[in-house]
This record gives sequence, structure tokens and C-alpha cells, in this order.
Amino acid sequence: MNKAFQGEHLLPGHLGQFFVILSFGGALLSTLSYYFATTNKDALDSSWQRMGRWGFYINSLSIIGVCASLFYIVYNHYFEYHYAWSYTSKELPVYYLVSGFWNGQEGGFLLWTFWQAVLGNILIWRAKSWEKPVMTVVAFSQLWLASMLLGIEIFGAKIGSSPFLLLRKAIEAPIFSQPNYLSFIKDGQGMNPLLQNYWMVIHPPTLFLGLASVVVPFAYAFAGLWQKRYKEWITPAIPYALFACMILGTGVVMGSLWAYESLNFGGFWAWDPVENASIFPWLILVGGLHVLIVYKNSGHSYFTAVFLVLASFIMVLYQSFLARSGILGETSVHSFVDNGLFWHLVAFILVFLGLAIYLIVTRYKEMPISKKDEETYSREFWMFVGAIFLGLSCFHLVLVTSIPVWNRIFGTKVAPPTDLVSHYNIIQASFAMVITVLTGFSQFLKYKKTDTTKFFISTLVYLAVALLITVPVVYFSGLYKLHFVFQLVMLGCVYTLLVNGKILIDALKGKFKLAGSAVAHVGFGLMLAGAIIAAGTRGLVSVNESGTVAIAGFDKSAQGNKISGDSHENMMIYKNEPVKMGPYLVTYAGDSTSLPDHFYKIDYRRYDDKGKMIESFELKPKVQLSDKMGMTSSPDTKHYLTHDLYTHITALPQPKEPASADGQAAAVHGDENDDKNYDPPISHEIAIGDTIRFREGYMVLRALKKETAIQNIPITDSDVAIGAKIDIVSNNKNYSAEPVYMIRGKNVFDFSRTVDEAGLKLRLTKIIPEKNKVEITVYQQPENKKPWVVMRALDFPFINLLWSGTLIMILGFLLSIFRRNKEIKPV
Amino acid sequence: MRFVFLQAVRIRYDTSMKKSSIFGLIVIGIAIAVIVVIYAGASTYGSFTDARKTESVLRVVGHLDKQKELYYDAAKDANYFSFYVKDSKGEECKVVFMGTEPQDFQKSEQIVLTGQMVGSEFHASEILMKCPSKYTKDKLDVTDVRAKSASI
Repeated sequence: MNKAFQGEHLLPGHLGQFFVILSFGGALLSTLSYYFATTNKDALDSSWQRMGRWGFYINSLSIIGVCASLFYIVYNHYFEYHYAWSYTSKELPVYYLVSGFWNGQEGGFLLWTFWQAVLGNILIWRAKSWEKPVMTVVAFSQLWLASMLLGIEIFGAKIGSSPFLLLRKAIEAPIFSQPNYLSFIKDGQGMNPLLQNYWMVIHPPTLFLGLASVVVPFAYAFAGLWQKRYKEWITPAIPYALFACMILGTGVVMGSLWAYESLNFGGFWAWDPVENASIFPWLILVGGLHVLIVYKNSGHSYFTAVFLVLASFIMVLYQSFLARSGILGETSVHSFVDNGLFWHLVAFILVFLGLAIYLIVTRYKEMPISKKDEETYSREFWMFVGAIFLGLSCFHLVLVTSIPVWNRIFGTKVAPPTDLVSHYNIIQASFAMVITVLTGFSQFLKYKKTDTTKFFISTLVYLAVALLITVPVVYFSGLYKLHFVFQLVMLGCVYTLLVNGKILIDALKGKFKLAGSAVAHVGFGLMLAGAIIAAGTRGLVSVNESGTVAIAGFDKSAQGNKISGDSHENMMIYKNEPVKMGPYLVTYAGDSTSLPDHFYKIDYRRYDDKGKMIESFELKPKVQLSDKMGMTSSPDTKHYLTHDLYTHITALPQPKEPASADGQAAAVHGDENDDKNYDPPISHEIAIGDTIRFREGYMVLRALKKETAIQNIPITDSDVAIGAKIDIVSNNKNYSAEPVYMIRGKNVFDFSRTVDEAGLKLRLTKIIPEKNKVEITVYQQPENKKPWVVMRALDFPFINLLWSGTLIMILGFLLSIFRRNKEIKPV
Repeated sequence: MRFVFLQAVRIRYDTSMKKSSIFGLIVIGIAIAVIVVIYAGASTYGSFTDARKTESVLRVVGHLDKQKELYYDAAKDANYFSFYVKDSKGEECKVVFMGTEPQDFQKSEQIVLTGQMVGSEFHASEILMKCPSKYTKDKLDVTDVRAKSASI
């Protein structure tokens, strides 16, 4: 089919596709050259190495070329490309165009391969004698990533998925038989409103940098076994492993911060399979990191170190498979759909898994495995135990998250546990408890051998102090209402904080080398404590009667048999009618629109016992309404130092009424149908100064005056027009309205006035000169016709501990990187 | 792992096992315990008929009957949403969800409900929806809504 299509811009796509293929070629050249450079016996011959470098440079530059071409397409809104059409639209601002760039699967691979290229170049520069074998592995991984983007067909099988696929090739539709089809495609599909958030701009690059950097320690372990340099690879691998843990951890927490700030499931972690998958490699690598240090200091745990470091990269590949293959379809909210890469992704895992197993099996006998037993009172033994528990925690997550995978392999139809959240919470909390206690007391142990008496004294003293602190913490935070395992985790956290705090103080006094791990452990303890308190004692604000509602997943009854207590979390509030919610008086004060967002103003006030207002603020949760996406709601959160107040809209009247700005105008034109929106009218005969009472307040007739003009209707001398000035007080707010009565010739008109805010319509229906009175007809909106919203408000106590703990942990990793980096002697 | 592969060689106490072997056994024990807990907790996908026969919570796969009424009246109860679902065997049942209508609910092609029978109604604590993609027909995406939302 060589039909010419009008208006297509094929050049950037061809260029991009060329770069994709070139990056594949570069990676292939680099892999083969580095392989031969590694296996070449002639030490003086560096030609293979040079070629390997050139291959890698070609690969890196091509990736930049691919990115530039794709960005050019997205930036210029060339909707003839499927990628631009699917994920962006013309109205998106530039920074969201950037995030549109990694919205799709192909963009994710591109980001991954980009970071891996950056890391590869750093290794070429710094790895010295390790360059050849390490870069063989990195380039091989680049080769696989490049193949994911190829999007070419070989023998009928599709290899990879290209971001430069044309729309007319991606979707079959009759429109594409017309040469001028592009003139009908005015705009792209746009970005899911949930993704239009600044976190979407920074979270994916961070996460992918973390995932990409796991390849480096893997490559070192692989190279160490391959080249039989069994001991040497450990020291240079440690800083990279620290870096990967730091960035991956940051990326994952950024994801949960994003979920908390802008998604509406009301929390920061939902145990969604894709979320779980993102921490598989982190748990394994953190465990691996600890045993690397154990081996470095004591010569123990060699096999475990190798095993965990190799497994961490396999976990990266496995999590990518889970997220991208579509296999989680029935259990996950945000997994991608299979792009035809299912078996390609499986092969990616199997090849690396196969190579890793091959190396372990063939090198097992030569590994420097210590034949001596560790001392019970040695730090290395308990660090090893801790690493194994991190592995077990990951093992549990993998088993449950992979239920759809087991179903697929064994042809079964097992469903995940019904009370999944509490299942995860309780089992993972048990592991967390063990790990926090270990990160505590192992600090009192020394490598090799420790004085037992001293150890027991300090351990128990600190444990006693931790217990003394934990009891009031558990009592005042409300943790005592939860399953006991969460209280034990709290104890573990306090214990870790105390012990590592002490180590940190010692470190500041001189042993500065130890500061990194102490800071990271303090951060970890704070993070866990914050997560347990914030999620476990989350308070429901949007509830009428004060009282506690059991929080799913934390209940004392471990059995998930019964759905515990229907938590009525949503509350309906009418506009301008204050409602008591928890300690607040909450009012839906109005809405504003800045397309595509509709903001709902929720006014919060808090009074002290004497009725004095002590606090007042406004939250503006956001809703986007569209035919394509339906209703998408984003929360707004009031941040305090010790807690957060989180609010979002869960339901709205349907269909959404037009903005009330033109309400006044519509009423002037006397729309009779409008009366249907009100209760039957009530007429009142009143004189000036009289009061009319209605459901939410009262109104007073202030004056009657002769009108000279009524909007666009000119008033002549023969007309009589009288306006009634009425002051209204509704729900303690003041309004005024002026309905008009007019006689023109023999006809009588009256011009009603609506006060939408108060849900009122007023008419001056009669003038009774003999009584010196007028008749005012009051139309009042029935309760359910008045504007309302249904909202949910939650209170997250001490959630700042989670975020600040994360920052402290990152700082600790950073300090450790500096320390471990100094230990590398150039080889 | 090393504690599994290694022989129990003991230098000081010849009779006792090597410490890491004991630890290895503990780890294997925990691993088995984890598997048992998962296996015991694992549920199955069932039908409304199955749900009537049991007291426990289970998952029902079906689709929304778009002909029947979706009931939600915020003024009466902002936490009551009911609708009718046909399960995979074609049986229809009224479903009650203690919450608001989930996003994209009416576009869903398939629904996985987690809950139990209360009288003749199925009370769902979680609704997992499979929706046709917002863009193209060949893509799917999934949304998950829980009555009591998840955290941590």
C-alpha cells in the first residue's frame, strides 16, 4: 500500500526508527566486542575493548536520538503517530508533554535504557579492570532493552513495540483509506487527568533510574564469578548497590507520595500488585547490600551475597514483566496492557536467570565460602539473619502478587485472599518487626566476636527504655486498638531509633565512618513508624457522630472472614449548610471552574469550647468531568506538622448543573420551567420592615422603590416599575435581592430574582396599596435540588514521619556511598 | 543457600549442628508457614449460588446489568449504592456497596465483586472493574475500588 497521505510528517519517525535500530546495532556490537575483549588472552590487545566502547557510545547517542525524535513528534503534536495521539493533546502544557513522553510502555523502556546508557558510560570511565566483563553484562542488558523498542516483524513474529508506530498502522479504521485522513484528526486523546500532576514529571525518571542502576551490582557479581575474581568485585559493587537502593527507594516513596497527594484511594500504599512489584528488587538488594558488607568485614555469607545481588536484577526484570505483560489484568489497577511483548519479556527474564544459575552452579565449588561457623555474638551473623528476613518478606510478596502467574502456569483459578490488605499488613508487619529489632541490637555486636555480658546489658537496657517509650506512644496514638503485631512493630521502630540514635551520637563524636548506616537506620525506623501510625490510626472526619470506625486491614480480628463494620466514609453536604464533622464545622461554599478542572470549595472551621473560632481554612478538592474519562476526583490536603487533613469529592449531582454565574440572567427571562426546581411557592403579605421566615433563615423587606431601568428593558414614563429591596439571612450569610413589579399599559409583569447561593427565588407578585402592603412569593429549593457534594475527609496522623524518615534514609545512603567510595582502591 | 548446602561441620561442639543449618531450618519453616497462610487465605472465584451456600467472603465474577436500575441517593444515604450483576453462570443478584459509585463503573465490561450474601442481597466490600480502554477497543484497563479503602 503505497498511497500518499496528506500532511504526514514521516521524517522524524523514520529518523527515530533509524536510531532505534542503530541503538540495537550499537548494543550488539558492544556486547560481542566486550565479550571477546574479556575472553581475549592477549592482555596487550585492546582493540576489542575499544570496539566495545564505540559500540556503547553509538548505542548511547542513538538513544538520545530516539528521545529527541520522539520528543519532537510529541512537542509538535504530530498525531499521525500513535504515541503522540494516544498520550498527549494540544492543550497539554510543555511539562506534561514531557511526562506524556513516558506515559506509554515504550517510553518507559526508553527511560530505562537511557539511564542504563548513562550508567554504562560512568562504568567505562571508572570501572578500570572491571570494565570489560562488567560492560559485557550491561551492554547485553542494553541489547535486550533496545530489542523491546524495535517494533519489527521477523518471520511473522513481532519483536518489540516501537514508539514511532503510525496511527493508521496501529488502529484499523475506514478513515485511514482517505488520503486526507489527518485533517479529521484534530487532537490527541490527551492524558489521563490523574497523570497530569507534577509527580508524573519526576516520579518515573527517578524510579527508572533506580531500576536501571540495579544492573551495576548484578554486573559486578556476574563478572566476579565469570572472571573468577571472587573477592575483588565486592568493594567496587557496594557503592553502586547503595546508589541503587537509595534511588529505587526514593522512586517508590515518590510514587506513594503521588498517590497520597493526587489519587483518591485515600492512602499512600494499597498493596496493588504493581506497587508490590516495585519493592521486590529493593528488598532483595537491601538484603544483598548488608551481606556484601558482612562478607567484606568477616569473610562470611559469600553465597548469600552473590545470590541476593544476582536475584535483585532478576527481580527488576520480573517486576517489569508483571507490570507490562498484562498478566495482572484481573488483580491490578495500574498495570499496562500486553503490547504483544509477553513472551519477549519472559525471554528477557529467562536468559538472565539462566546465565546467573549457570554461573552459580559452575562456580559453586570455587566460591570462597567460609567453612567456619559464625559466632553467635557477632554482628555478621545477625546481619545475615536480617538479610534473610528481608528476603523472606520479598518471598511472601512475590508469592501473593504472582497468583495470576501461578494460575497461568498451572492452569488453576485461585483468587487472592479476600481480605488482602490485612493479609499483607499482618504478615509484612511481622517481618518488619523482626528486621527493626535486628537493626537495633546488631549495632551492639562487633564483627567476629563480642563481649557477651556487655552486649546483653546494653541490649536489655535499651529494650527496657524502648518499652517505656512505646507504651505511651501506643496508648496516645491509638495503636493499641489494632492487631498486636503493629504494636510490636512500633516497639521495634522505637528500639531501632534509640540504638541507632546512640550510634549516630557516637559517630558525631568521632567514629564518623559509622554515621551513614546509623542515619539510614534512623530514617528507616521513622519511616515505618510513620507508615504504621498514619495508616493504622487514620481517622475518619467525614462522619456525623463521633466514634471510631475500624480501619480495614488493621483489625484485631485476624480472620478476614467477616467484612468488619461498614465504614460509612462518605458524607453529603448541601451548599452553604454547615455540617459538623469531627472537630470541624464544614461548609460546601461553592465551586469554580478552570477547565478541565472543577474545584469545590470546602470551608473548614474549628471552634473552641466557648464558641470562639480558632481555625479556618478552605480546601479545594478537584474533579474533572469528561465523556471519555467520566468523573475523576483528586483530593486536596491541609498539611499540619503532626497530621494531615485529606478531603476529596466522591459523588456529585448528575448531570452536573451549569455554573451558576448565569443563573440571574436566566431568571430575568422568566423561564417557567424553572419553577419545577422549587417547592410549591408560599405567598406572604408584608409591609416594609416585616420579616419572612424560611427554612434556613429569614428575610426583611427594607424598602420599596421606583425603578428607572430593568436591565435591558427601557422604562417609559407611562410604565410603573417598583422594586422591593429585601435583605436575606440564610445560614448566617447575608444576601440581598430586588424583585420587580411592573405595569405596562394593561399588562402586569413581574421580574423574579434568584439567590442561588441560598436556594431561593423571590417574586413581587402583588401591590396592595389599601393595606400599604405587598405580596412577596417565596420559592425555596427542595433539599435535594440544592447543590450538594458527597465528600470523604480523612485525617492522617504523623504522616510527616513517613516522608521525613524517607529523606533521612536517603541521606544515610548518601553518606554511606561517600564512605564506601573511598574504600575502592583503583585496580 | 549456603546453610542448606553446607555440611554441618562443627569445630567446638562436634555433636551439635552448625548454627546456620539450624537457622536454615527456621527459615524453611517460616517459608512453609507463609505458603500455608497464603493457601489458607486464598479464595476462589465463585457464583452467587456459591455465595448463598457459604457464610464466608468470596469473589464473584460477573457483569453489570445495564438494563436495571443503579440506585444511589446521596440525600438518603451517601454510603449506599446498589445495582444488579449477572454472574458468569447467568444468575442475577442485587448487589449493595457501602460507598459511592466508583469511577467508570457504568463502562465496565466485567466486574469482580468481593463480599458475601446478606439475605437476598450480595454485600460487596470491594469492586474490581475491567473497563474497555478509554481510547481503543483492543486495550483494557482495570480499576479497583474498595468500600473501606486500603492504606499502608
